[in-house]
Amino acid sequence: MASSEGRRSQLLRGVLDLCLLAVMEEGPAYGYEMTKRLRARGLSIVGEGSIYPLLGRLERDGLVETRRVASNGGPPRKYYSLSPKGARALESGVNEWHATRDAVDRALGLVEAEVAP
Amino acid sequence: MNEFVEECRREWRRLRVPDPVANEMAADLTADLDEAESEGGSAEDVLGNSAFDPRRFAAAWAVARGVAGPPAPDRLSGWRRPLALGLSVFLGALTIVAGLVLLSGHASSSIAVATRRIVAGPGPIGFFAPGPGGMVVPGPFGPFDVRQISHGHPIALVVLAVGLVGLGLLAALYWSPWFRRRRYERHGRAPGWN
Repeated sequence: MASSEGRRSQLLRGVLDLCLLAVMEEGPAYGYEMTKRLRARGLSIVGEGSIYPLLGRLERDGLVETRRVASNGGPPRKYYSLSPKGARALESGVNEWHATRDAVDRALGLVEAEVAP
Repeated sequence: MNEFVEECRREWRRLRVPDPVANEMAADLTADLDEAESEGGSAEDVLGNSAFDPRRFAAAWAVARGVAGPPAPDRLSGWRRPLALGLSVFLGALTIVAGLVLLSGHASSSIAVATRRIVAGPGPIGFFAPGPGGMVVPGPFGPFDVRQISHGHPIALVVLAVGLVGLGLLAALYWSPWFRRRRYERHGRAPGWN
């Protein structure tokens, strides 16, 4: 059986793209800013690897739009925002997640009822 | 942190990522790493566990952005595969045959310990005297000439050595980072990314 950290990592890997799209819904953000938004929502990526390859894939698939914005004193930052296609993918992904989560909850709920004294 | 970005740049150069794209990725990464550092954070806060493997991270990012191909299959391709396989079989067979010849030579020398070359001598039973440079050592059944072992099959010994060295070289070439790098550079792809 997978360790709890390994299972968490696998679960997160399947929905990290959705989480990124969800934090972009708050407003355009650059890479590290998205990491901080995820952390603020209780999701640490420290053990999961970087979000940059995932952002690259979302951009390639047309789910996000990018633009360069001048920063204070530093080089222009690349801001990511949801594209219309990304917004639709987020909506459909959230529905899939809820359906999956509910089904898993029902399955685990049965086990819990059997184990409970 | 700059060392991490430099390592990524080297990987992107090796993957032949176009300069403008590589510069853009490096600038984004540098800005994020600098921001984390100014907030008292580390590269791990920005990159997760990728902070410990810049080459893999750089290759993954380039592949995800579509500016580098997927990894080369971890095996020889085209005519190299049958050639390497044939050479391995040939060298393996050579080594086994040479080993068997040496073993049988050693076994016959051991038998010689027991049988020895019995000849008629002044007494009722006599033995060959050792030739020039020879040495007679005592054995459980009487003395015998050690040259029977040491001079048994010098060619088999050389063939065995050639076979073993050849197999070792083949294995070292196939598994060496240098050979893998050559393979993936030829394909313009990153190693070990899935």
